[in-house]
Amino acid sequence: MEKSFLTGIKKLFKSWAFVLLLILLLEVVVFATKNPKFLMPRVLFGSINDIISICIISLFVTFVMITGGIDIQAGSIVGLSSIVVGVSWQDAGLNIWIAVALAVLVAALCGALSGFFVAYCDVQPMVVTLGGSFLYTGIALLVSNLSATESYKGINGFPEAFTQISKYKFFDFLPSQVVIFIILAIIAYILLHKTKYGRKIFLVGVNRNAAEYSGINTRLITMSTYVLSAISASIAGIILTAYLGTAKSDLGTTFTLPIITAVVLGGTLSTGGKGSVVGTALAAVVIGVLKFGLPLCFDVSQQYLDIPVGLLLLVVVIGRSVFSNPKVTAKLHGRKK
Amino acid sequence: MQHIKKILKARAMGSLLFLILLFFIVGLVNPSFWQPTSILNCFNDSVVFTLLAVGIAFVILTGEIDVSIGAILGMSAAVGATILRDGGNYAVAVAAALLVGAVIGLVNGLGVSVLKIPSLIFTLGVNGIVRGMIYVYTGGAWVENLPADYTRAANIMLVGNLTWFYAATIVIVLAATYITTKTRHGKYFTAVGDNISGATLVGIPVVPTKVAAYVLCGVFAAAAGMVYTSRIGFITPTAGLNYEMKAIAACVLGGIALTGGQGSLVGAAIGAIIMSSISRILVFLGFSSDYDNTITGIMLIVIVVVTTVAQNRAVIKNRHEILSARTNGSKNNRTKTIEKGEAR
Amino acid sequence: MGGNNAKNTDSLLSVRNIKKSFGLNTVLKGIDLDVGKGEVLSLIGGNGAGKSTLMKIIMGIYQPDEGELRICGEPVTNFKPAVSLAKGIYMVPQEPMLFPNMSVEENIIIGFKEKPAELHTRLVKIMDDIGWHLDLTGKALSLSIAEQQLVEILRGLLRESKVLILDEPTSALTFDEVESLFRIVNDLKNKGIGIIYITHRLAEVFEISSSVAIMRDGMITLSGSIKDFTREMLVKGLLPPNMDEIEEKDREDIPVDYKNTKPVFELKNFSGYGFEDISLEVYPGEILGVAGLVGAGRTELATTIFGRDKVLSGKAILDGQDITGLSTAEVIKAGINYVPEDRRLNGLFGLSSVAANTTSALLNSKEMGKVILDSAKEREVAGKYIDDFRTKVTGQDQEAGSLSGGNQQKIVIGRALSTNPKLVILDEPTRGIDAAARGDVYSIIHELKRKGLAIMLISSDMEEIVELSDRAIVMFQGHKRGQLDKAEISQTSLMNASFGIAQKED
Repeated sequence: MEKSFLTGIKKLFKSWAFVLLLILLLEVVVFATKNPKFLMPRVLFGSINDIISICIISLFVTFVMITGGIDIQAGSIVGLSSIVVGVSWQDAGLNIWIAVALAVLVAALCGALSGFFVAYCDVQPMVVTLGGSFLYTGIALLVSNLSATESYKGINGFPEAFTQISKYKFFDFLPSQVVIFIILAIIAYILLHKTKYGRKIFLVGVNRNAAEYSGINTRLITMSTYVLSAISASIAGIILTAYLGTAKSDLGTTFTLPIITAVVLGGTLSTGGKGSVVGTALAAVVIGVLKFGLPLCFDVSQQYLDIPVGLLLLVVVIGRSVFSNPKVTAKLHGRKK
Repeated sequence: MQHIKKILKARAMGSLLFLILLFFIVGLVNPSFWQPTSILNCFNDSVVFTLLAVGIAFVILTGEIDVSIGAILGMSAAVGATILRDGGNYAVAVAAALLVGAVIGLVNGLGVSVLKIPSLIFTLGVNGIVRGMIYVYTGGAWVENLPADYTRAANIMLVGNLTWFYAATIVIVLAATYITTKTRHGKYFTAVGDNISGATLVGIPVVPTKVAAYVLCGVFAAAAGMVYTSRIGFITPTAGLNYEMKAIAACVLGGIALTGGQGSLVGAAIGAIIMSSISRILVFLGFSSDYDNTITGIMLIVIVVVTTVAQNRAVIKNRHEILSARTNGSKNNRTKTIEKGEAR
Repeated sequence: MGGNNAKNTDSLLSVRNIKKSFGLNTVLKGIDLDVGKGEVLSLIGGNGAGKSTLMKIIMGIYQPDEGELRICGEPVTNFKPAVSLAKGIYMVPQEPMLFPNMSVEENIIIGFKEKPAELHTRLVKIMDDIGWHLDLTGKALSLSIAEQQLVEILRGLLRESKVLILDEPTSALTFDEVESLFRIVNDLKNKGIGIIYITHRLAEVFEISSSVAIMRDGMITLSGSIKDFTREMLVKGLLPPNMDEIEEKDREDIPVDYKNTKPVFELKNFSGYGFEDISLEVYPGEILGVAGLVGAGRTELATTIFGRDKVLSGKAILDGQDITGLSTAEVIKAGINYVPEDRRLNGLFGLSSVAANTTSALLNSKEMGKVILDSAKEREVAGKYIDDFRTKVTGQDQEAGSLSGGNQQKIVIGRALSTNPKLVILDEPTRGIDAAARGDVYSIIHELKRKGLAIMLISSDMEEIVELSDRAIVMFQGHKRGQLDKAEISQTSLMNASFGIAQKED
């Protein structure tokens, strides 16, 4: 009896995704009872644009954090990708899809550069990506100066085919952005949890030395996660550009902290070795729904929304730390006796 | 002699030389930079970042991080500015701001050291909450119409072109550096960051040391907030947004290792000057200040990569030397120290 | 230990019925211990016996659940390192815990109330007294392990400690350094300082201690004056009560056919960092023991073969294929695998499942699927080794870090075998595991031999080498000092070669 109780608790914490799902359900129930409009697809999906970039990027920043690293440059790559698309299309006259491919390539190179310093030079990931965030923001600004358009105005007038990336609705209600997110989430899930590559990512994060002794090329694996997260940031940047219809160099500058929040809330260990795509995806949605539901149903001002998100993060991490404390475990056990 | 050697070897020295070299080169390209006014302006402009960087340096030295200082700056500035606007006493306004900084710092310190939450995550959460609180407190409006005397204070010169603020900042930085390097308790910050188990073993109170670092960090961020208020003259709800990143960058430029235990507060101050001078320097060099972030990023990455690679090489070389010495039997370096004893 | 009460009057340290558990795990089950003036108490016990927990309680790092601790007669109520230090206890930890970025002097005087100048004078005097001369201005990170240990001891001396705890101080020291340390211990003893000397080496116990205590499984099983004990009695005290004789059933010897088989692995004048000019060969079905002291270069030899460090000269040949200087992945592919010495640091993925641990070295081969991980194959491989080795797990998805040391070791050995190697290098395969698990590991090794694998067995445990090896080489200060055939292998012959005695002309 006591054992099943304890293993029950352990199992519960192992399936952190389950807890997140409960939180999500709770949110939906509370918001829907307060204001039935909440459940209308048009209203629900209409709010998605603010959070979708963070959802997408956090999926792949999860990879980085599982290796024991951190990526605080992803936000800056959003802006860089956006402006590269804009300038190469408008000022260099490239086909819009080639411009998009170019943006992804540039982002991948940025990720590879930072990843190289982290993996092959053993520089602290926090410092490298901090430097990267300055560097790529700066480059984005310089790229925007290449354009005939003033940088604060942004580049407009994209072809319809491009803006459809964000505007198209499947079955008349499901926005293409959501579909892209789901596809990316599935890809991330398979990569991380089903492939040999994903297994190697976990092993590198749990014990890099032991991974080396198992013949795993830990440096290449580590570097690749930064490339992936940069590519995801560029995809987010392209989607955001298509949605806004404007390419700007300063998009995404405030994304860093929400991305990390989503990843950590998703159950990824900040020291590496543990984490899941499902957890991150759910956490990102939990944050998104919270940010959407509070203003709609409880009239909470948009600007206050950092408070509940911050509180949620703190409550979760404190709760986890308290429950994993051996003293508490012993007490729970004792009470059952 | 030994003292001079020690100073020359310090990590901050590299940053100082870099700063001097930087100013020298700029002067070569554009001699008008080589005037006390331009150089002092670089210093005067750096007050806010200097205070932020020195504050966060306490935390970084202990091996932790604090990404909430931008929000602390905004919150304490909003509180202080509101009191000023409503005709409150200057001293009361500053004291209230510092108190706000200290309280938030205390919360951070307790969360990190007592609850043992990873510092990046805990301060990230606090950052969100405090950012939101600024909106709640100000109602989303700007805090304006501050007394002219207060906003003028940032421009009062002590001598020539040196502001009172910067002079006071220098004194504070030097005092704080003295405390952290020369006094018994002050050394605890670096010791905890250098080797936390070792610190426990020699009886250093680890938890109080970390809490103190966070409180100091909060107080310095609040002080930066009041300087910011004076310099800018009004407070928006986004005041100090992303400043934490710049403060961390300043520390790295100043030779402080984010792993803790290495570097000094003076280094942080020098790093802050480098950080905040770049846009001014770019103008003197005839470039657009748009290059600011790019240059900062390149500098950060180059400096860190070069020092890390050099350090790792040295560690490997040292290991190989020790191993080689072993194979060479009694010509062994490490036994020498003891053999001397045997000769006694 | 009731008879010791009379001694309590001059007892520096007295531990009474100390108990401590972490969560559900009881580590100390009622410990009694006394250290008097000028007493050197050797504390012996395997890993997990609770020695370090007990020391941490004495140091004030942990609070005991029950029991009493008296230092110089005064009871300790407030368990903090600062309190224990103030009362005159100092511990030199097994792995020195210095502040790498501080100078040597700062390292020694940190935490003192007195003025630095005064401390400096005292420190210099102490160094003169005992005849050590360290560069006080250098940074601690440039010191060797031995020098770091000296710094730790100086800390204790400067504090004028009444009780000094030395936790396995000789494990990283050379022979000369050990002698020097023993002289210091004797000096301190004459000054009336009490010393707790934690060690694994029984020879040392008889050399320097005045009394001895054996800890096993959270209890003191034997204690008293050293005069009352023999080596055999101590060994018996270290073993579990019913483990008088290690299982003999696997001891059927299969002789190696040296005439008709070719060696599967050869080293020719192989040199690297930490070893020089090593030549050896290993035959199929042979266990080649590699004996020597800690620091003799054995692990460096193994890791260099395994592609972890640079080969300086010479050749390594596996089954006719030159594998000199290949990367770890290539060496594994060629047919060598290695069970690392430090399981926690280099062997185990603590947070990963048993299955993921077992198959980690297979990820580069197509066996586990091309891109997608073949989870059926993974279960098959992991299951095979769990069954073969009788590993105690709740399931394949159990976290490897939650297993006992012996079961963890079985997992790591399973991984090394999963790649179907021709040669397995086992580096201290039974370090830190209990006697029962040790028996299991021995059975595994015999079974591998029977299957015709070539095995290199690196061990500091001479008995282990004697028991298992078909041939043995001994390394001393990075060089090969002698090669012994089965008949020549004995503890004495190994010991002599390990201490470099066999070749006096050097």
